[in-house]
Amino acid sequence: MADLLGTFEQSVLLSILSLGEGAYGRAILNRVQGSLQRNVTAGAVYSTLERLEASSLVRSRLAAGTAVRGGRARRYYTVMAAGQRALSETRRALTAIWQNAQLPVEEKR
Amino acid sequence: MSGNDQSPPRWAETLLECLLCAAVRDAVVGDLHEEYVEAMAPRRGRLRADLWYIRQVMSFVPSFLKELGPMGKVLVGSSLFTMACACWLAFMEMILRHAGYGTRIGLALCIAIICALTILVRMLHAGASIERWLWICAAALIGIGAEAFFRNARSPHFEGFVFVISLVLVLQGLLMLMTLGRRGAFASGPKGHDEVFCPHSGA
Repeated sequence: MADLLGTFEQSVLLSILSLGEGAYGRAILNRVQGSLQRNVTAGAVYSTLERLEASSLVRSRLAAGTAVRGGRARRYYTVMAAGQRALSETRRALTAIWQNAQLPVEEKR
Repeated sequence: MSGNDQSPPRWAETLLECLLCAAVRDAVVGDLHEEYVEAMAPRRGRLRADLWYIRQVMSFVPSFLKELGPMGKVLVGSSLFTMACACWLAFMEMILRHAGYGTRIGLALCIAIICALTILVRMLHAGASIERWLWICAAALIGIGAEAFFRNARSPHFEGFVFVISLVLVLQGLLMLMTLGRRGAFASGPKGHDEVFCPHSGA
C-alpha cells in the first residue's frame, strides 16, 4: 500500500473533488481554509498541489484569465484516479485504526 | 478611491514573482491578486489586506529556499553576511573618519552592492550577461581581500578585524567564482535556475 495521505493533503484533494470544474488555486485555498477552520497560507496549498501533481495524484491545466486578475491565467486542478484511490485507502486505513480504539479522554475543552 | 488603490502592494507582488518560476507565476500571482481585490480589501480594509498579502508572499519563501540547493543557500548566506560586514565597515569609517575614509566607504558600499546583486541574480534568474560581470566582481573581491590580508600581515600593527574581513572577501569571491555561471550549481537537481517552485519543470 502506498503511503497514507496527510490531513492537509486529504483536505486539498477533497476540496478539488468538491469544487469540480471550478477547482483553481484561489477556490481551493478558500475551501481548504473552510474545511480545516484555520488560516491557511497560499504557499502551503501550492506546495501541496505541487507535491500531489509530482506524485500524479492530480493534474492541472491552464485557462484564460479574467480582468480582475490582470489577465493572468488560471490553473485548474483535477484529481486523477490514483488520487481517488489514495483517498479511499487513507480513509479505510484510518477507519481501521480508530475502529477498536477506547479513548480515555473524548475531548478536553 | 482609484482602481489602483485596490491592488496589492507593488513591491510584494514583484517579490512574489521573483520567488516563483515562469510556469506557475501567472496562476499564483493572479489567484492572490483576485483574492485581494475581490475579498480581502473590501472586507478587511487596505492595511489588513496588505498584511494578509505580505503573509501569503512570505509563505513561498521556505519552498524557494528549499529549491536553492546547498550551494545556492551557502552563496546567499555568505552574500548576506558579507553585505552586512561591508555596511558595518562603511558605518564605522563614517564615524571614525580616518585619513582616506571616503575611498574606503566607497569600496565597502561597492562590495555591498556586489553582494546584493549576487542575491538578486539568484532570485531574479538574471541572464548570463549579469553573471559575467559578477565573475569580474568576484575576481576583484579576491584581489581586494588578498591585498588587505598581506598588507595587514606585513603591518607592524596587526588588526584582527582586517584579517577577518579580508578572509571573508576572499571566500566570498571564491564562492561566487565556483557557483555563478554553473547552471546546476544552485539547485539540488540538474535543471538549475528553473527549479524554483516549479512543479511543471520536473514533471
